[in-house]
Order: sequence, then C-alpha cells, then structure tokens
Amino acid sequence: MSTNNTSLQNRTFDAIVIGSGISGGWAAKEFTEKGLKTLVLERGRDVKHLKDYPTTSQFPWEFPHRGQVPEAIKSANPVISRCYAYKEDAMHFFVKDTDHPYGQPKPFDWIRGYQVGGKSLMWARQTQRWSDFDFEGPARDGFATDWPIRYKDIAPWYSYVEKFVGISGNKDGLAHLPDGEFLPPMELSCVENYFKDFVKDNYKDRQVIYARCAHLTQPQQVHLDQGRGQCQKRDLCQRGCPFGGYFSSNSSTLPWAEKTGNLTLRPFSVVHSIIFDEKLGKASGVRVIDTNTKEMMEYYAKVIFVNAAAVNTNALLLNSTSHRFPNGFGNDSGVLGKYFAFHNYRGHIGGQYEGFKDSTTDGRRPTSAYLPRFRNVQKQETDFLRGYAAGFSSGRGSHTNTDGFGTTLKDQLFNSETGGWYVGSHMMGETIPKEKSTVTLDAQKKDEWGIPIINIDVDYDDNDEKMLKDFFEQMTEMYTKAGFTNISTGDSKQAPGLDIHEMGGVRMGNDPKTSMLNKWNQMHACNNVFVTDGACMTSTSTQNPSLTYMALTARAVDYAVQQLKKGEI
Amino acid sequence: MAVNRRSAIKQLLYVSAGMALLPACLQNTRRTSLEIKNIKVDGEQGKMLAELVETIIPATSTPGAKELSAHLFTLLMLDDCYNKEDQQKWLKGMEDFEAASKKMNGKSFLESNATQRAALLTSMEAAKDDKDDVAFFYRTTKRLTIQAYTSSKYFLTNVNVYELVPARYHGCVPLKPFTHKLS
Repeated sequence: MSTNNTSLQNRTFDAIVIGSGISGGWAAKEFTEKGLKTLVLERGRDVKHLKDYPTTSQFPWEFPHRGQVPEAIKSANPVISRCYAYKEDAMHFFVKDTDHPYGQPKPFDWIRGYQVGGKSLMWARQTQRWSDFDFEGPARDGFATDWPIRYKDIAPWYSYVEKFVGISGNKDGLAHLPDGEFLPPMELSCVENYFKDFVKDNYKDRQVIYARCAHLTQPQQVHLDQGRGQCQKRDLCQRGCPFGGYFSSNSSTLPWAEKTGNLTLRPFSVVHSIIFDEKLGKASGVRVIDTNTKEMMEYYAKVIFVNAAAVNTNALLLNSTSHRFPNGFGNDSGVLGKYFAFHNYRGHIGGQYEGFKDSTTDGRRPTSAYLPRFRNVQKQETDFLRGYAAGFSSGRGSHTNTDGFGTTLKDQLFNSETGGWYVGSHMMGETIPKEKSTVTLDAQKKDEWGIPIINIDVDYDDNDEKMLKDFFEQMTEMYTKAGFTNISTGDSKQAPGLDIHEMGGVRMGNDPKTSMLNKWNQMHACNNVFVTDGACMTSTSTQNPSLTYMALTARAVDYAVQQLKKGEI
Repeated sequence: MAVNRRSAIKQLLYVSAGMALLPACLQNTRRTSLEIKNIKVDGEQGKMLAELVETIIPATSTPGAKELSAHLFTLLMLDDCYNKEDQQKWLKGMEDFEAASKKMNGKSFLESNATQRAALLTSMEAAKDDKDDVAFFYRTTKRLTIQAYTSSKYFLTNVNVYELVPARYHGCVPLKPFTHKLS
C-alpha cells in the first residue's frame, strides 16, 4: 500500500469500511472474501496480532505498580480511569480523556479504543443471541419504533458468524435466548450448578445457564485456518491473546481479509465526512484526514460501510452535510443522533454460600454463568418496561491474616487460608431509547482535525430506577431462598456509557420518516451507505450487543454485494 | 549535617535512569535505579525504611522484605499512586514515627536494636485506622510491604505459584488439605 500515492486510481476502491473494530472487521472480511477491493480506514494506530501485545506474557511482578494506574494519569483522566479494564496491563489500548475531549451535558463515561481492532481487543467477549421477544419489544410495548427485522431474518447470520468466531456455549433450549453454533462450554462451579438447579426447581420462568462467549474451547478447522488456537484459560484477554483464544478483529477477521489480497488497511485515518455526489444521487467516497501529516484527501468507492462505533458513527454522519443533506447524511427524517441508548449496569449483588466446603475451583475461567431476562418476557407484568439479564459467578477467595509483624506475620502470609464461597451478580438492564437522548456536534468547539467535538446527552430515567429496584428485590429473594448469606446489594450510580454498550442514533426502521436505515442496514435516503455498528440499534434489549452487530454486518454485506451485482447500487 | 535531600536520595538509590528500568530491578539484588519525583526522602530515612520493611517481614530461611526491595516498591507506589495530601501525610507520619522511636527507646529506629524495634511496632499495631499521621505512615508502609512481598517473583514462583497459562478450569474439585508452608 502506498499511503502517499494520490492518484485517483489508487484512491478508488470497490468498498470503503470506516472503522476496524468488531463490526468493521466483519465488513472487511465479507467484502474481501467476495472479491471486492476494500479500503478499511482506522483513525488510530495499527495493532498487529501477537506483535503488538506488549504486556501479554508479563507476570504480575513485572508491572511496576502491580497493575495500578498511577495517580497523575487517573486524576487527569477520570472517565477512562473508571473503566474496569483500564489497568496497567491494558492502558495502552484505551483513549485517554485528555487526548480526545467531548461534551457531556449530563455525565457520560465514553470508553474508547482508537486502534486497529478497536474495542474488539478488550471486549468482555459475551455473545448472547437476541430472540423475537427482543426484536418485538418496541412494537409490543410502544416505544422507539418497530424493528424492521425479526429473529428469522438474522438467525442464519448468527450461525454464520458464530461458526467463524467460535462461540463456547450450551444448548439450553430457551425461546428467549436462542441456541447457536456452539463449541463446548467451560464448566460451572459446584455453587453455580447448585444455583442453576435451585432456580430451575423454584422458578418456572427463570434459568441459570453458562454464558455464551467468544472463546475457542475446541478449535475447529476454520479457527486453525485463522491461526488461532485453544483458549488457555489465562483470563488476561484485555492484553491481547498470544493464542488467539478469543475473537478479535486483530486475531481473526482482519488477517483473514488480508489473505485475500483485496484488503487495504489504512491506520491514522480520521474520516471527516462522507461525500455526497449530487449528480449521482449517492455517496461517492469519504474525506480523510491523515493524523500524521494533517493532510486531507479523498477516497472513493461504490459502497460505504460506516462502522466507526456508535457515537462516532453518529458524529460522522452529522458532520457529512451537503446541499442534499443539510442536517447530516441521510437525515431526511430528522432522527439522526436521537434515540440514543445504553445498558443499565448499575446494580450488583454479592453474598456467600456455606456449602461445598470440601470443594473448590481449579484454574481460571474467562466467563461466568448467566441469568437470561425473566421480567416482562411473555407479557408486560411489572410497573416498568422491559427487563434485565444478570451475570452470576462464584469462587473461593483466600483469606490472609495481616495482623502483627515479624515472623508471625510472615508465617501468616505464607499460609493464607481458603475462604468460603462467594457469589455475585451484576445487572444488564435494557434502557428505552428516547428522542431527547442525543449525540450532537458542538456549534463552536472543534477538535485538532477541525471536526466539531461531540456532545452526548443521555441519562437514566424512571424506568431505569424502577428496574434497578426490581433487580435488587428479585435477586435478593433468589439469593435468600437459595441459602446464600451475607447478601449485600449496591448501586454503583455509574454514569451511562461505562457499560460500553452505547447504541442507536442511526436506527433501523420500516418508515423513512422515523428511521435512518432499512431492514438491510441500508440508508433509506442513500442506498450505497450502510451502518452496521451499534448506531443502527433500534432498541437495546439486555444482551451484550457485539454478536448482533457482527451478524447484521455479514448480512448487510451479502445484500450490498448482491445489489452491486444487479446494478442497483 | 546539612544534607541536600536530592543528592542524598541519589546516593541511596543510585538515581540514574527512569522507571522503565524498574520492573527488572525490583526483582534482583543489583543496585537499583529509582527516580522519585513527588516525595522527598533523605538517605537516613531511606535506610530506616529498609529496616522497617525488614522488621515487618524479616529474613528467615526465606528472603525478607528488604531483599525483595519492598522499601523501594513502597517509595515508588507512594510517589506514583498516592495523591499529594496522602504523600505529605505519609512523610509527616515518618517523622512522627521517628519521634515515637526516640520517645519510646531514646534513639532513632535505625539505631534501635531488634527488641526496641519490635516494641515500637507493637505499639504501632494498636492503631485501627489511618487517622493519625503516624498510623497512616505505618499502616500504608505495612500494606505496601505486604503487597511488594506477596506479588514478588520470589513469592509467586515459590510460595503461591502464579500460572501465566493455566490451560484448565475445573469448576468443582476437592479442596486439597491444608499443609503448613515453612516461612
């Protein structure tokens, strides 16, 4: 690739993909496999699998502060410092507050990963399918707008991406959390199995299952072909995995796309805007700012996929104005940047279990058990809309007596005792996308590239507070009945955003008057632009959303290429 | 004797390179490079700190905290991971600690013998919170000494073996009977 070649031919591709994270990586793989010359634009630096994981094989004692983030960095970067994964071993994969400021009319913890692979490097790897109970939610309960797709539309694409990604899971036979193409699950602990049986015996509508996750528990040929191997249960995934044991763009889709010979990956490329060709009535390409040279240049393609991650995708479209689209690209409806939402992760509960004293776990496990949503699934039954899923995990800690000093203390340190079983859950609540929840561009302030800075204006509402209360009540009841003791609940009161599940603003829908994208993630108002990252989400449901982005992306590329072949695009 | 504190710490800690060198340095017994930026500790205080961490976790048939550079880790953490207020409180607490030593034993901690040092630490153990500067100093230093020791290469390869690549997870296995480890 010649980054300095400015000839028109070298800047013209079949497809442009903006962003190299979990959905952009899939767009790249699908386009290049189908023979399209594809340019992937990434605003950050390159991160090559294996080579650019500097901390991956470090022992705990090799970190100067044993994992802790120094005070000077924390105080200068309060937002990113609140992220659970922002520790000394993976700090280099996160954006500092000071590097890329944004506006927060209400507190919003925006967690970003500006590099090739995006946040797919550090994601939590949970991959639960949606069902029709999720897709039908807005229509049934009268919020947002109806999804233009149903489970049957996406089911084959879930299967398609699951086989390639490698998903570890159990066939649980649940209508509201459909089974997928699973590699074997990892084990549940004795206490998790006990709670699973307890819930099954005592609640008709509730289940405890093994959480499906993107880990290769038994690699298949397609995974070996990617150069990936079996998950080694290191549970250090945020550093990048030397075994390719979990899925990321870096370990999987991007090298796969590269092998086709059809991929051009251009890091350090901030996309300023999408170019609308008034004569052709469609997008002709994108304006890119090279972050090293500050030079602006244009790249052209027949089809453009926007996968910049939810907030930035909104901002890019808002910044792409033209005579045809004075209010942002494809924004005839005026809904662009509105109906933004997230997941409510505020609630957590912990406790202890006195049983299984003679048993413990051995090794490490990078996932947990999971309680699928049980509130308002079949019908509305509470004073709040929708519901929540919950994680469930357990283990035995160790207890070290640190009283005293000298040989007494030393002996205690050498002989820590195995503690009792602890149990814990966290809440993953659906939030309702609202018109007043917005991503907008600042009228005055601009970033270092001359692009307006982004304002994110979203907050919890009454529904979220009621749901949180219900989570505490229901989980406390289940924990109590199951015989867990020392139960304590907590509201982290964390700002929206820290869930790292921001969604919406460029929503899908049947009606061009109230939505931006059709059922193929294709813009109603411009048929060669597609959005398949979190921005496309009409509602949020409770599941970790990345699997759905991947499936929607593969499906949309398939459609786009068919349309290109037919000459429709 | 008027000692320039900066030059004293240089003598003590051989300041020459940045913290990038630290991870390896902390783990061996070479002369250690450590650059501290926010707190000032003179040579006597540095020696005192080394003896204090050694009194907290002494060498026996296994290494003590001084050999595992727990005093340097303590300084580094204080310097990098604590706010200014806590840093000042810790420094003030160190002076109070010395004052307490003089009051109890009639001499500095460094000059004290093992029995005198133990007597002082026994009195320090009585504090149940960090309210007093001296309690904050002692409890913070002790906590960091324990952290340095139990996260050291020595401890994680000889006592509680850390596995970088476990390659297994078993959800329910018999708990091994407790066997006392010689410390």
